[in-house]
Amino acid sequence: MAEERFLSDEFVSQLTAVGEVDIVVGLPTFNNRDTVQRVVNAILVGLVKYFPRQRSVLINPDAGSKDGTTEAVQAASIPDFRAVLASSPLRTMHVVSARYPGVQGESEALRMLFAAADLLGAKACAFVSPDLESITPEWIDALVQPALKDGFDFVGPIYQRRRFDGLLVKNLLHPLIRAAYGYQIEEPVGREVALSGRLASYFLSDQSHREDFPGLGAFEWMTTAAMAGGYRVCQAFLGPRVTASKRSALDLNTAIKEVAGSLFRCLEIHQSYWLSRQKCEQVPTFGFQPVLDLDPVRIDRKRMFQMFSSGVDDLRPVLEQILSPGTLEAITAIAKLEERQFRFPDDLWAKTVCEFAASYHHSAINRDHLLQALTPVYRGRVSSFILENGRAGSEDVELKLESLRQEYERLKPYLIENWNRKVR
Amino acid sequence: MRTTSSSPDSPSGMPAPGADPLWYKDAVIYELHARAFHDSNGDGIGDFPGLLQKLDYVQDLGVTTIWLLPFYPSPLKDDGYDISDYTGINPAYGTLENFREFLEQAHRRNLRVITELVINHTSDQHPWFQEARSSPDNPRRDWYVWSNTDDRYRGVRIIFKDSELSNWTWDPISKAYYWHRFFSHQPDLNFDNPAVVEEIWKVMQFWADMGVDGFRVDAVPYLVEREGTSCENLPETHDVVKFLRRRLNEKYPMIFLLAEANQWPADVRHYFGDGDEFQMAFHFPLMPRMFMGVKLEDRKPIMDILQQTPDIPETCQWGIFLRNHDELTLEMVSDVERDYMYDMYALDAGARLNLGIRRRLAPLMDGDRRRLELMNGMLMSLPGSPVLYYGDEIGMGDNIFLGDRNGVRTPMQWSGGWNAGFSAADPERLYLPLLSNPVYGYQTVNVEAQRRTDHSLWSWMKKLIQVRKSTRAFSRGGIEFLQPRNHRVFAYIRTLGNDRVLVVNNLSRSAQPVELDLRAFEGYIPVEMFGGNPFPRIGRLPYLMTLPPYGFYWFRMRRL
Repeated sequence: MAEERFLSDEFVSQLTAVGEVDIVVGLPTFNNRDTVQRVVNAILVGLVKYFPRQRSVLINPDAGSKDGTTEAVQAASIPDFRAVLASSPLRTMHVVSARYPGVQGESEALRMLFAAADLLGAKACAFVSPDLESITPEWIDALVQPALKDGFDFVGPIYQRRRFDGLLVKNLLHPLIRAAYGYQIEEPVGREVALSGRLASYFLSDQSHREDFPGLGAFEWMTTAAMAGGYRVCQAFLGPRVTASKRSALDLNTAIKEVAGSLFRCLEIHQSYWLSRQKCEQVPTFGFQPVLDLDPVRIDRKRMFQMFSSGVDDLRPVLEQILSPGTLEAITAIAKLEERQFRFPDDLWAKTVCEFAASYHHSAINRDHLLQALTPVYRGRVSSFILENGRAGSEDVELKLESLRQEYERLKPYLIENWNRKVR
Repeated sequence: MRTTSSSPDSPSGMPAPGADPLWYKDAVIYELHARAFHDSNGDGIGDFPGLLQKLDYVQDLGVTTIWLLPFYPSPLKDDGYDISDYTGINPAYGTLENFREFLEQAHRRNLRVITELVINHTSDQHPWFQEARSSPDNPRRDWYVWSNTDDRYRGVRIIFKDSELSNWTWDPISKAYYWHRFFSHQPDLNFDNPAVVEEIWKVMQFWADMGVDGFRVDAVPYLVEREGTSCENLPETHDVVKFLRRRLNEKYPMIFLLAEANQWPADVRHYFGDGDEFQMAFHFPLMPRMFMGVKLEDRKPIMDILQQTPDIPETCQWGIFLRNHDELTLEMVSDVERDYMYDMYALDAGARLNLGIRRRLAPLMDGDRRRLELMNGMLMSLPGSPVLYYGDEIGMGDNIFLGDRNGVRTPMQWSGGWNAGFSAADPERLYLPLLSNPVYGYQTVNVEAQRRTDHSLWSWMKKLIQVRKSTRAFSRGGIEFLQPRNHRVFAYIRTLGNDRVLVVNNLSRSAQPVELDLRAFEGYIPVEMFGGNPFPRIGRLPYLMTLPPYGFYWFRMRRL
């Protein structure tokens, strides 16, 4: 079968002009004109400040913006670096924008960036979101340094989160990945990551599952594939992640479908790795974590509980095909509690997730329906988590989360058992 | 009154009919030290009779002007820049009569000669200083800058920071401090004193009457001091220059002044005045950026500095160079750039001196013939009169262990024989030891060997100079930068009237493709200037070219 030609002639021409580089910074965009210039400036200053001698290029794969985003990227420049830094750049700063073909999606943009990194022989490749309001030049240093100079293949982010922010990551993704893959990685769907050149080349060559991971799932796949592939993984403190575009609570269905669905798919792809993985190791962590407590995210806990309660009731026939009888009974029981007494214990939650993952693997029901059914159950978990930790400080919350992670680890044999069980 | 004159312009020394007062714009300058070039009397020190014997060589190379480093009587604590007699010849180099004869023979070969005018300071052994220090009442007391304390002119930078702690030195004889911007044995003259200015003019007249064609004025920015300033580039300094230039114009209109002002281009611009100060000034900031560009494989540093370079009066010219008798100065770069240069070119800390690198061109280029050619190609094609340092035409090496800047001032290597053909003396008597390592030693790198083959660096340099001189677009033309997307390619057009030359340089160690936007020259035929081969006619599409590693092309654009 002929190899696919997916880079446009114009893009290749621009890359040829850039030539060999040490660092690629990828900035996928789609209608981000209002925010992208600040992000570009932060990247350029970061490159000049922290990597003044390295050859670098900022590549902007664009999904077909109609608001002048790529023009804004090209126009973003720092007229006099000496106003920001002590000196001017040593090297020509390259900024390349190109439309990527196909359907808008992270995986297409990433593929383009993998190809560019491979073609240019980049030693490190970082990805940054175009709607970041909190990015600083130091993010570039934090992401690129470990890949470029310290021999790491994958650099994940650690964000300084507000309390109750990222609960899906904290209650499901992080602990399940930790238990299964054996790495304590904080942000498995971090959108600001960096790769070594060799990992980018590997991802370029392994595009077989590209279409399985829409949206954020692409990042999840990268994270888990790096771990499963035996690549050196680390993470770096970046700071608060504040974006211009806010996800609404109504997007939870989509979030769970993308994120949890991608994770369950990753578990399938990498099962030969994690089923036999015994240990759980800490991931080298770089950077400085501030202790400043951010204001908590406001969540309508009561509404969450109500949606959980009604959801469990409405979806009982579906849940019966996913969960074991014991787990379902336990969930049903807590769904009937008064809201103030409601608790969704760690062990029950972890067990629920494990059963959902196994049922996904066995395609117990249509996978989309399965993931939809997870949503109300997750809402119950969130409601309980907030009720339990509403007045707790950051350190206490962290202790509770660590306890949850250990519960997941304890239940790994249960996950394996369910994963491997013969389906009648 | 002119005692002797043998200017190439006319026997009388006045401009010959049709003589071009802007001759310096077309000059290819060859910098050398009489001491280092050739020894005629076997005392181990080069001299003027010896230099005279090598004038045919200099002429054959193709350069047009010789710049002589200081040859005046001197204690030689700063290689002759510490002068104790402005109107004499250091006896080790010969006599005034030897100099006159050398000058005449140079002029017969159409070689002009420029000499050093080191007027910012003298040696502390100069009779002027000896008198000045003898008593506060001495008539020459005010010829230098004295102070009862070392508090004056606070904060002024120290130039020779590796060897001096202060710009003031206590004189135990005079019981006062004297000011010196360079070594402590080089007290600064006081240019606020009209008598000093007059005396300097007399010195200039002395050499002008003898027939020299120009003066390279050393350390110009530091002539005058004022409290609360950096004591550099002061308006009063420009007044002194304007005065001397005016006098020169009146009496010796063909003689030109070349400023050594190691400053940013915008500051050097002032030394051209309105065409009433220096005719030429060295472009110091360009030089390290050429080295940076080749190491970075990026035209950015070179282009940036050239784009920042202000226009100069029509009668003026930049002097551009790669190396000279001093360290490769890194004063006019940022800290980041300096660190980069040190890491790339002077990893051995022994190669670093003051704020610079004391290495010759060839070792800086790792002996890479391609890079040597590229650098010289840029030197000969960028705007300005190129200055070639003696020995660089054969790729001479250096010896950083000789102390100060002596490592780049070793004897010229003429042959692989006794003392490299430099001197008949015992080798131990040479003023500096010869280079003798297997890579750059005189047995390997010498004129005699290189003149035997058409493919040597020397032969190539000769050809390069010849091609450069074939068009005035290089020496007097404007420059327009092309900015192809490939940043590793540095391309520009030099234009003078209908004469157009396209220069394309590959700064990279790997072969490079480049598409040039030459639509403005649609229909022209580029003719490669070294081989004379025509290239495809330029059309409307981008002109695709490929260049070998460190390769460059010069194309004369023909419309036929």
